[in-house]
Amino acid sequence: MKEFTLLELGRRVGQLLVSLFLLLVVTFVIGRVLPTDPVGAIVGELADPAAYEAMRQRLGLDLPVYQQFWVYLTSLLQGDLGTAILTGNPVLEDLSRAFPATLELATLAIILSTIIGVPLGMSAAFFRDSWFDQFARVISLVGHSIPVFWFGIVGLVIFYATLNWVGGPGRIDIYLEGLVEPKTGLLLIDSLLAGDTEVFWNAVNHIILPACILAYSAMAYITRMTRSFTLEQLNQDYVVAARAKGASNWRIVTGHLLPNIAVQLVTVLAISYGGLLEGAVVTEVVFSWPGIGQYMTNALMIGDMNAVVAGTLIIGFIFMLLNFLSDLAYLVLDPRTREVTA
Amino acid sequence: MKHVSRPLMLGAAFLVMAAVVPAAFAATPNDQLVIGTSLAQVLSLDPQQGTEVKTQEILANTYDRLVAFDPETSELFGQLAESWDVDDTGITFHLRDAKFASGNPVTAADAVFSLVRLFKMDQSAAAGLKTFGYNSDNAETLITAVDEKTLRVDFADKVIPEALLYRLANGVGSVVDSVEVQKHVVNNDYGNEWLRTNTAGSGPFVLNRWSPNEIVLLERNPNFWGAEPAMTRVMFRHVPESQAARLMMERGDIDIANALTAPDVRYFQAQDGFAIDQAKTGGFYALAMNAGREPLNDPKVREIIAAYGIDYAGIAETIVGPYGRVRNVPAPEDWENAIPNPDWSFRPEEAKEMLAEAGYPDGFSLTIKTIAQPPRVDMATAIQANLAEIGITANVIQGNGSDIVSQHRARDFDLLIPQTSAADPTALGSLDNFTNNPDNSAEANNAGNFVWRSDWDIPELNALRVEANSELDPAKRGELVKQLQEDFIASNPAVFPMFERFEPVVVNVRVDGYDAHPWGLTRLEDVSKGDAN
Repeated sequence: MKEFTLLELGRRVGQLLVSLFLLLVVTFVIGRVLPTDPVGAIVGELADPAAYEAMRQRLGLDLPVYQQFWVYLTSLLQGDLGTAILTGNPVLEDLSRAFPATLELATLAIILSTIIGVPLGMSAAFFRDSWFDQFARVISLVGHSIPVFWFGIVGLVIFYATLNWVGGPGRIDIYLEGLVEPKTGLLLIDSLLAGDTEVFWNAVNHIILPACILAYSAMAYITRMTRSFTLEQLNQDYVVAARAKGASNWRIVTGHLLPNIAVQLVTVLAISYGGLLEGAVVTEVVFSWPGIGQYMTNALMIGDMNAVVAGTLIIGFIFMLLNFLSDLAYLVLDPRTREVTA
Repeated sequence: MKHVSRPLMLGAAFLVMAAVVPAAFAATPNDQLVIGTSLAQVLSLDPQQGTEVKTQEILANTYDRLVAFDPETSELFGQLAESWDVDDTGITFHLRDAKFASGNPVTAADAVFSLVRLFKMDQSAAAGLKTFGYNSDNAETLITAVDEKTLRVDFADKVIPEALLYRLANGVGSVVDSVEVQKHVVNNDYGNEWLRTNTAGSGPFVLNRWSPNEIVLLERNPNFWGAEPAMTRVMFRHVPESQAARLMMERGDIDIANALTAPDVRYFQAQDGFAIDQAKTGGFYALAMNAGREPLNDPKVREIIAAYGIDYAGIAETIVGPYGRVRNVPAPEDWENAIPNPDWSFRPEEAKEMLAEAGYPDGFSLTIKTIAQPPRVDMATAIQANLAEIGITANVIQGNGSDIVSQHRARDFDLLIPQTSAADPTALGSLDNFTNNPDNSAEANNAGNFVWRSDWDIPELNALRVEANSELDPAKRGELVKQLQEDFIASNPAVFPMFERFEPVVVNVRVDGYDAHPWGLTRLEDVSKGDAN
């Protein structure tokens, strides 16, 4: 059994690498075929053709696509993701700065959407067709259909500009910029490490609104899925039996339902988390959030393919990793899968 | 229900807690200036490379140029040059005692290094001075250090000295610390890789941090030669969303916003506590027609579209708003020697008849290419509607900057909406973009030239422009400049201005001394701030 799990693990890692490679090939080719002009973005539109050509050669864009790919791949294997045209920095350095901002936002969003969405979905199933169920359905429908952009602006108008409850766009009030030395890149953590409570609370104030807005659409999905998983379980014999034995609702939820839907929930949460990490683009633009979504949007606009390819790889990697971890969670959480596969 | 709602209560409690946490909302401190802008196009802080407008404001404050000009009066004054003498063959600059932020003294050798570097790198930034005959081969002979504090710039062609001074007043004329830059030269790149993300100047501020798409943080330069600036820090914050920037302006989280959409600028016109500073860039929103393609190769067709087919007044009112005003002559209306606007107005019935006479009774179809950016996208849509009324079917094709520009460079378009800026604040400098095309052949591949891109062959106009540019007598030159504009209008231009381009800047009234510069070169050394209201 242990041996098999290791073998399975190896197989999954292999799959992950192959998928990543395919992702790399596809992104790279699309990037080179797109009619963007990174050379023009650097040398400017009034540049002399000779200067233009020289820059093209310097970037290696004069080589055939397969050679460009080979150059990219060999340096990638040495841990070099190339230099970003957008910033002149190594792409890795840019990403290591942009990614924590997104990670922080998406993590808070997934926590919020889980602690609200799961109970909401379970309660809705418990009181099926009651007013509460209707309410939960409306909430999740709204969250699913309202554009994040509109939601973000309205949120800013109400909670930032009018009520004065939260901080505005950006990760922190600008006069506090640069006071905390970045260690992890996660501002909430860094400010706590530095013991700077003013920066910490200011950062909390800034992150809470974009996180809630981001959380809302994920919550809508989590609520719907939790509701249907719970409904499925409620009709099972073991729940009926438990009820017959006089178990309280609380006991049924914590003792029976949660463990039984945990596996499916983990998958839903993993997918949602991946989606949040990848899909924060609009939120990031509205809230001037210097994360990976905004970084890649700008990179794409000028045809900075080093940045785009690297960003895509990282997001793809995280997506696959989350899938992989949720599969592992199956093995841990659900003894039946272990037995069946073994 | 009682039990299940417990997590819900916890969630709600967390939200409430987050909301009522003591908000540290002070207004921005009095010694820090916060500018909300879009940093998306800021790709390089190398002064001999970066030409984007938002880059200029950072360069203007971290570097000095030999000369600069007053945004209000366009009058030239010395920045690093204490004085200068003009003679028949060139200009001699006498430099002031100044230090770079590094502590190194500013010498004539630094100025030579910087200007020669501009031509050696030979990118877009060099284009303005190259039209005066300088290039990577002759720069070292024409730009020389006489002694430590004296710089000599010899004329390459017969040029108007004032025009040359204006071009040196551009961001590309910034003097870099040659000692510092030379430490960072890699692969003969003139220190470009390093200077893209670092500053080495003598301006009032130094770059402390640049996080792309997030923030540019400048700090007071302790070695600055002038009076100490009132601001200890200047921060440019990336706020790409105009409505978000508007809310931040209202709340006092930013002091100046310079990337707002027209409706958001209009909003502030009606608000107390804010002033709107309109920088007249001297540039235009233009319409380029491809004169190498049928039926735009027919001057008559071009005339019908330009003079009768576009509702300039309507577009100005509904779309352009604070971003400009109607202008079809390529010299801003209130500049010296500018001629009045021609009588071009929307007359669809006449236009239709004229098109039929020209052999197009059923009209024709073409495309309008534009960068997907306000107000240009909206202009394209409006022009599409106008042309439909005269029987021309136009399809709008949007793209990002590099995409559309490369198609413009490759002469691959029917109609295209570019924007221009003036090479110097004189009518002649402004005309340069629209009347300069020495060789229209495809082999010339002069993709950097605006007129060439429209495949519009203009030997007479070009000759007249050259003549005006070498006329040293201001009165005679003035006559030539007027003639040039009249001839331009009469020639059924294939690339012409539609609207003079303004850059509106919204400024909190707390801020004193901010004077928006037409080219974005706004210096902040004299800016001070009063208390928040």
